[in-house]
Amino acid sequence: MNEFRLIMKLFKNIKLGQRVQFFVIPLIAVLFIFAGLTLNIMSKKRVLEAAQLQASVYIDKTIQLIDIVENKTGKGFTTDDRVELKSYFQSPAFYTTDFPSIVSLTGEYLLHILREGQRIPLSALNKLKSKSEKQGAFLYTDFTDNSTEERLLCYKFYEPYNAYITISISPKETLAPLENNRRVLILIIIFSSIMAALAVRYMINPVVRNVNLVNIKLRQLANGDLPNHLKIDSSDEVGLMVNSLNKLIDGLKQTTTFAREIGHNKLEFQYKPLSDKDELGTALLEMRDNLKRANLEELRRKEEDNIRSWTNSGLATFGDILRQNNNNLNLLADSIIQNLVNYLEANQGGIFIYNESDSDRYLELLSAFAYNRKKFVEKVIQLGEGLVGTCAQEKNTIYLKEIPENYITITSGLGEATPTSLLIVPLKLEDNIFGVIEIASFREFKPFEIEFVEKIGESIASTLFSVKNSIRTKILLEQSQQQREEMAAQEEEMRQNMEEMQATQEEMSRKNVELEVVTSAINQALLSMTLSEDGYIVDSNANFQILLGYNKQELDGRLFFELIHSEQRSGFNNLWEQVLIGQSVNETLHIVGNNGVDKYVMTSISPGIDDMGMIVKIFLIGQDITETKKLELMAQKQADAIEQNIIELQMEQELSAQREKDMETLLKALDQNCLVTVLEPDGLITYINNKNVEVLGDSKEDIEGKHLQDLDYNAKNNPKEFKIFWDNLHKGIKQSREFSLTVNSKIVWIQENYTPVMDQNGALYKIINIGFDISENKLKEAEMVKLISQLKDLKDKK
Amino acid sequence: MQVTDQDLQYFVTAIKGVSKYDFSEYSDKSLKRRLQKILEDYNIDLTTLITNIRVDKNFLEKIVKEITVNTTELFRDPPVWHLMRSRILPRFKNNKTINIWHAGCSTGQEVYSLMIMLNEMGMLDKAKIFATDLNVDVLDAAKQGTYKYRFNLGYLDNFDKVIKQNPLNFEEYNEVPYEKYFDIDKVKDTITMKKFLTEKPIFRKHDLVVDGNIFFAKFDLILCRNVIIYFNYSLQNKVFELFHTNLYPKGVFLLGMHETILGPWANKFERLGQAYVKK
Repeated sequence: MNEFRLIMKLFKNIKLGQRVQFFVIPLIAVLFIFAGLTLNIMSKKRVLEAAQLQASVYIDKTIQLIDIVENKTGKGFTTDDRVELKSYFQSPAFYTTDFPSIVSLTGEYLLHILREGQRIPLSALNKLKSKSEKQGAFLYTDFTDNSTEERLLCYKFYEPYNAYITISISPKETLAPLENNRRVLILIIIFSSIMAALAVRYMINPVVRNVNLVNIKLRQLANGDLPNHLKIDSSDEVGLMVNSLNKLIDGLKQTTTFAREIGHNKLEFQYKPLSDKDELGTALLEMRDNLKRANLEELRRKEEDNIRSWTNSGLATFGDILRQNNNNLNLLADSIIQNLVNYLEANQGGIFIYNESDSDRYLELLSAFAYNRKKFVEKVIQLGEGLVGTCAQEKNTIYLKEIPENYITITSGLGEATPTSLLIVPLKLEDNIFGVIEIASFREFKPFEIEFVEKIGESIASTLFSVKNSIRTKILLEQSQQQREEMAAQEEEMRQNMEEMQATQEEMSRKNVELEVVTSAINQALLSMTLSEDGYIVDSNANFQILLGYNKQELDGRLFFELIHSEQRSGFNNLWEQVLIGQSVNETLHIVGNNGVDKYVMTSISPGIDDMGMIVKIFLIGQDITETKKLELMAQKQADAIEQNIIELQMEQELSAQREKDMETLLKALDQNCLVTVLEPDGLITYINNKNVEVLGDSKEDIEGKHLQDLDYNAKNNPKEFKIFWDNLHKGIKQSREFSLTVNSKIVWIQENYTPVMDQNGALYKIINIGFDISENKLKEAEMVKLISQLKDLKDKK
Repeated sequence: MQVTDQDLQYFVTAIKGVSKYDFSEYSDKSLKRRLQKILEDYNIDLTTLITNIRVDKNFLEKIVKEITVNTTELFRDPPVWHLMRSRILPRFKNNKTINIWHAGCSTGQEVYSLMIMLNEMGMLDKAKIFATDLNVDVLDAAKQGTYKYRFNLGYLDNFDKVIKQNPLNFEEYNEVPYEKYFDIDKVKDTITMKKFLTEKPIFRKHDLVVDGNIFFAKFDLILCRNVIIYFNYSLQNKVFELFHTNLYPKGVFLLGMHETILGPWANKFERLGQAYVKK
């Protein structure tokens, strides 16, 4: 198999001419040989079959003879028969060795010209036995003396003999005539083979040459080269092929040109496909159509892109604008309308903002660009009024290509003209209107521009919404902030007011307490009365009532004047006049009360004056000085006496000057005659005089600086009595005592007079003891006492 | 937390320790309330407050300002102004100059009230006006002469009562337009004194407790209204002495509506309503 494949492969790779030379011509020769051989074999078989048929006919003829013999002899194959028949079996049937024979069932040649008594080869016998047919033929191998030979045995069973009638044919003999035929056949084959080879070469070679030319062209084509025509004068298949090739080249050239033109985008180039079935042409045409469509599509898309990018960049621009300035509505509106008009390449525009108050809903021109609305100069437009108002009310865009006369004009330095188109777009957000934008232009607006303005309108509306909100919030915030601050300031102020009131209250109550004290002191201690400007009693205190013997009801409403003693009334009138001009006066009034009560009151009368200097009340405060007055009167009387006394006193002063001298003498005498001891309140002896030393014998040094308690006899021996004595002294009571003691064996009687001396405050200041030697001078005692009292008086006076 | 006497003592001592401010003779009760208020407003305790006072001079000033009470209004207590107009100012009619001291002028309303009245009486040119307060902030406000309008509508009532009407003669009515003295801005909610009013007075910081007389002048008229209520008796007397010393003979000293001189200085003045005339 592999070899076969290899050969096939080799074959495939071999060029056509070689293929014919090396394969086809031999193949033809082989086929001729094969045919000759087949013919030969077939003839052999025919010959053999014919021989067989001849044999069987020969056998049948023989059998007819045998029948005749039999009929004569009968009784099967006998010697008679053999003899009888022998003549018939002497000659070969057709050839040289094919003698008829009779073969028994055991295989023995019953009758054979050469081989009588011999047997047929065993193999042939077996075959014969195995055949069921009574007549037939088969090949067997016959052994002869020195050779073996294939032979065909034809047989027919013959009943009367119970044996086979046979003829053994040698094929060699039969086929001998065929040998000559074979030689001829071989010659024919060789000849025809050479002829065939030559014919093939002759036919094939030009084809191969042309095919090669075509091949070269095709190779060029295959390489993309478009060659020139191939010129071959031939009308056979190759010629047709070359024609087609030329046509193909032409077509390709045309298509290439077309493709090149398409390549150069000359889509309108005329081109006809080579045929209905020209796929490339059709494809190219389709491509061209598609390209045309794509171009159109491209154009459309470009335009759409332009629109989209215009819209997008516009949206972005306005997004930025809307993001900025979003706390100042006016700035924002200015910026919007200016940019919008510029962006749309329009000529003028205005932005209205929708305002809503309790009663009014209107549009207000917030900002305008090159705006000159002749017809509606006013900046406020009611909802539903005019185109702008209608737009706001309907919430739909209005686009007019014919503008009402005088509705709007565009003014420039060169004059004015009515614009050709007017676009009014509501600024709405979720069906809520926030304003209107009006834009006028000399050129028409394209739908996408209108759409753009509407889109922008939504953004503006949303921003206006938020700006309004934020402004409102900001205002509210500021307001509330301000309010809070104000509240705080006011609260602080209120608190301070409160504080001041409270402080004032405290100050007042403090003063009230003072005043109350004063008033109650006055009420308790003094007489007090309130009078009206006319002099009528308005109020009086209990002291006054008691003093006068009237109760309050009796006093109230009474003229105070009536209470004044008649002798003083004229003087009182003068007094009253003074009070009425705002002065306070002090005067002792002689007042007459109930049942002839007669009192002297020292008064202070003060007018109560309000802030305006008006007298509101008159206050009278007094003190009952009746007793004093009486005393005073008495004193007055005495004063006269005193006056005289004064003269006397003057005289007496002169006397007392004399007396002072006397006193000095007296004191001197006292010092000489009395025992003088000066003690501190605690009993410390600070001074003793010489008389004391002289009488009692103790020296100054002994006594001075000691305490009486330590020296006194009584203090040692009778402390109780001493204590009483000492306490009394401290109470300011003079104490006298007498005692005796022995001095220089002489009994001395001493009378001591202790006199406590008080200071201004009544506290014990000193104790002075004056003692007398009464044992010697009892007579002078009285005189001495008198002297002491005089001394004391003198001291008091000082 | 309630401020105790001890707290107050602590506070006053602290302030005295770090500054020249001396609140020791202020009225206890009032000062206690102010301190309470400060503690509540700042939401701090006394120790913190005092620590802050000691370390932060500005804070101290702030607290001192908070302590002071600055209540005043234009033509406060109209009867006093009637008295002023009918009984006090006429006394100085023949003076060459009138020295006036507003001690504790607060935010200046009283200063402007008196100037307006003087102007109405044709005496403003003669007047030399000094105004003092402890609190610098209120002095600044006083110099500005701008007040809240709505909150202080009462000012105009007072102005009517004092300047336009005469309580002694109800038929008399002087039509004095507000514009003569004020700029009223209802939008800004302000009432502002005219410039000729605000530029005249001399405003100075001054502490009645320690500063004495800082002007080298004696005075014809001293106004010290609703100040001494924050002082105790002793300090009140010191202030009276200060004023007495610095008044010309027959000079007038005006106290607040419910303030009076009691005590040793009473007999050195002659009383004329809320006014006291130096004997």
